[in-house]
Amino acid sequence: MTQLPYAIDAETPLNPAELEVLRMQYEKEGDMVGVQTKFNYAWGLVKSNTRTDQHLGVMLLSEIFRTSPERRRECLYYLALGNYKLGNYAQARKYNDLLVDMEPSNLQASNLRTLIDDKVAKEGLMGVAIVSGVAVAAGVIGGILLRNLGRKR
Amino acid sequence: MANPGHRNDFPDPPSSPEDESSVISTRGLEAFGRKVTTTASHLIAPLGDPTAHPHYQSAMTEVQKQLRRPGLQRSVFSMARTTPTDLVRSTLSAREIQSRALSYVPDEMLTNIPENENSYSLFQGFQASFPEFTDEGKKHRRRVSRGRKLLEEGESGRVEGPHAVHKLRKEKASMMHQLEMLGIRKNMASSEIREIDNKLANLAGMRKIILERLANLEQEEALLEHEIVEVEGRLEDAQELAEEAESIALQTPTRSDEDVASERGDPAGFMSQSIYEKLPSASSTPSRPKKPRNIRRKSMPILHEHFKPGTMIRSMRAHQDNITALDFDAPFGLMVTAAMDDSVRVWDLNAGRCIGVLEGHTASVRALQVEDNILATGSMDATIRLWDLSKAHYDPQGSQFGKDDEDDGIAFENPDDQPVDPPAGSMGDCPLFTLSAHLDEITALHLRDNVLVSGSADKTLRQWDLEKGRCVQTLDVMWAAAQASALSAGDSTWRQTTRAADGSADFVGALQVFESALACGTADGMVRLWDLRSGQVHRSLVGHTGPVTCLQFDDVHLVTGSLDRSIRIWDLRTGSIYDAYAYDHAITSMMFDTRRIVCAAGEDVVKVYDKVEGRHWDCGAGIAEAEEGKTPAVVERVRIRDGYMVEGRRDGVVGVWTC
Repeated sequence: MTQLPYAIDAETPLNPAELEVLRMQYEKEGDMVGVQTKFNYAWGLVKSNTRTDQHLGVMLLSEIFRTSPERRRECLYYLALGNYKLGNYAQARKYNDLLVDMEPSNLQASNLRTLIDDKVAKEGLMGVAIVSGVAVAAGVIGGILLRNLGRKR
Repeated sequence: MANPGHRNDFPDPPSSPEDESSVISTRGLEAFGRKVTTTASHLIAPLGDPTAHPHYQSAMTEVQKQLRRPGLQRSVFSMARTTPTDLVRSTLSAREIQSRALSYVPDEMLTNIPENENSYSLFQGFQASFPEFTDEGKKHRRRVSRGRKLLEEGESGRVEGPHAVHKLRKEKASMMHQLEMLGIRKNMASSEIREIDNKLANLAGMRKIILERLANLEQEEALLEHEIVEVEGRLEDAQELAEEAESIALQTPTRSDEDVASERGDPAGFMSQSIYEKLPSASSTPSRPKKPRNIRRKSMPILHEHFKPGTMIRSMRAHQDNITALDFDAPFGLMVTAAMDDSVRVWDLNAGRCIGVLEGHTASVRALQVEDNILATGSMDATIRLWDLSKAHYDPQGSQFGKDDEDDGIAFENPDDQPVDPPAGSMGDCPLFTLSAHLDEITALHLRDNVLVSGSADKTLRQWDLEKGRCVQTLDVMWAAAQASALSAGDSTWRQTTRAADGSADFVGALQVFESALACGTADGMVRLWDLRSGQVHRSLVGHTGPVTCLQFDDVHLVTGSLDRSIRIWDLRTGSIYDAYAYDHAITSMMFDTRRIVCAAGEDVVKVYDKVEGRHWDCGAGIAEAEEGKTPAVVERVRIRDGYMVEGRRDGVVGVWTC
């Protein structure tokens, strides 16, 4: 049985009723909420497709990280995964690399690492494309303007 | 328009984890980091919702401002390991920044990651608590009626061989999975229990700290009160001087002779209606309005209420001999003890120190009661002495800064310590007067509102007027018994009970008076209810088979204890028995407050009956010391007020407990 979920698992949202069950459970326990209940809710939130839910989920995960040291190691992974889902690749990479350093044989973590790399490369390329596109456009416009100015002169 | 900065737009391949720290290495981010570490460390302390804290919110807005300004210029495109969208989001959107700050994990925590020793991962726990989320889980759910299914499979299995094998294998795999899940859930439950245990331990620690704080506060309160009393004394003196100067003060305290008995009581009841209505309920007794008094405390000590029931507050060796009588006025107030060694000592329960020794009796004191300032002692020398405890010379402050300096008020003294000798003559002004009319030893007395009744081995009860210091009425128990027998044809004559064979039982075991109502328990096992106005017995409660040794009544019930080992609770209105229970040995002393009936029943522990919970339990030295192999002396006398219990033992040790 797998100790940690693969990134795919985080991409399949729970249905609202299930998430509601987790939330009720979490709220019922109030201030003295147990780690597992908190995690259940947090994980449910991270799996969600809405960004606010994901934010809340990552926040809860970081709370778990802060308050229960014995869970920190696996929390690193969940945090990495959550941040990856949010698109916070810098954070995701930071957490995941920490985990990979500690557990080089961790399949899920190395899987996540390649996923992050792919995403960053892809979006980075896209970003460069956009930026360079903007630059080209600016250059063209600038050139036209310059030409116009030159013509006026 | 080739910007040189754009070269960095390409993310580096993940080859150099060393420069990991320079994710976005700008000053703005550093400031952000500092802010966040402070807020995060602030967040770690409380477990509750962090966003609820106003400091936090204000810190957050600051973070946002800080980030927006320089961030835009410097670091939009200077990322090392992430995408532009991520960067733009992390620097521009307030919401994103806020959520990042909330989920920020300080670096020192990242470096402090212990080995994973958990028997299951949180994700496994998640799966186990919601098996229906996974595919395998769904299969399990369908397999609720496994037995029937197996039967069906058995039938079909005979038909198609290889398919059945496959199916069975799948069954087995899923069952194994289920087993695994159950294991995880088991681990989850046990780890949750451990978590709760930790929380409980934390809470207990907090409780202890606060209890200590409370103890300190009470200590301070006691000191301050003492100072107030001193100032009051000086004020009084000054006023007296002023009045003397005027010298025309005419003071005749008019005392209205309230209800000097015009109506005859209803003979069926124990007390006439007029008196009965005035009976205070047990709960109202401690809060009577009291005249100002020297050592009286103004505030109620509440510390003992927060101790666990059965906790020892103090233990002290009060005497060298069997304690014969003891009483105290209020929790942490004054206690008076008497023992076979013929001495009577006054104690400050707050400091656990002996204030003084009352001298006068020529034989040991068998009965005593503290009522307000007044102490009444009845002795085997057939006299009753009255004392005014407010006249004692005692300085609690001096004692605290002297010997008890290092231990705080609730510290336990070694019970084997010799009592510190009080200054001689500290009680010199206390004696009020002596009542001597009884012909034999005083075995019981009760005092309330200027009415004192006493019972003696001369087989009489006497009523005393404390204003004049004279005996106003003598009640002959034998005569009353004879009267009763004459009326009801010899049915209830005086007869020695079978259990009093050794003859050591006191003729009058216990007394209590309320205005003109008097209850007395005698050696024949009878409890007689008298009307002091007529001087006659209204009702006799028959039931005990041994001498009655103790009794107490409130507005509803009368509780009696006897050498026949039983406690009986009578309904005062009907005169019938309400409840009864028995212990293993003879009851020597009993008292109740609003919640508990405590008894000394010939054991090294005090027997407690919790009326609210209907529970019997033991409280006292016998419990803790039994484990150490010691057997403390038998408890002889016990008193309780508001859950504050004092017991006196045969070896002269007095223990104070919460109940």
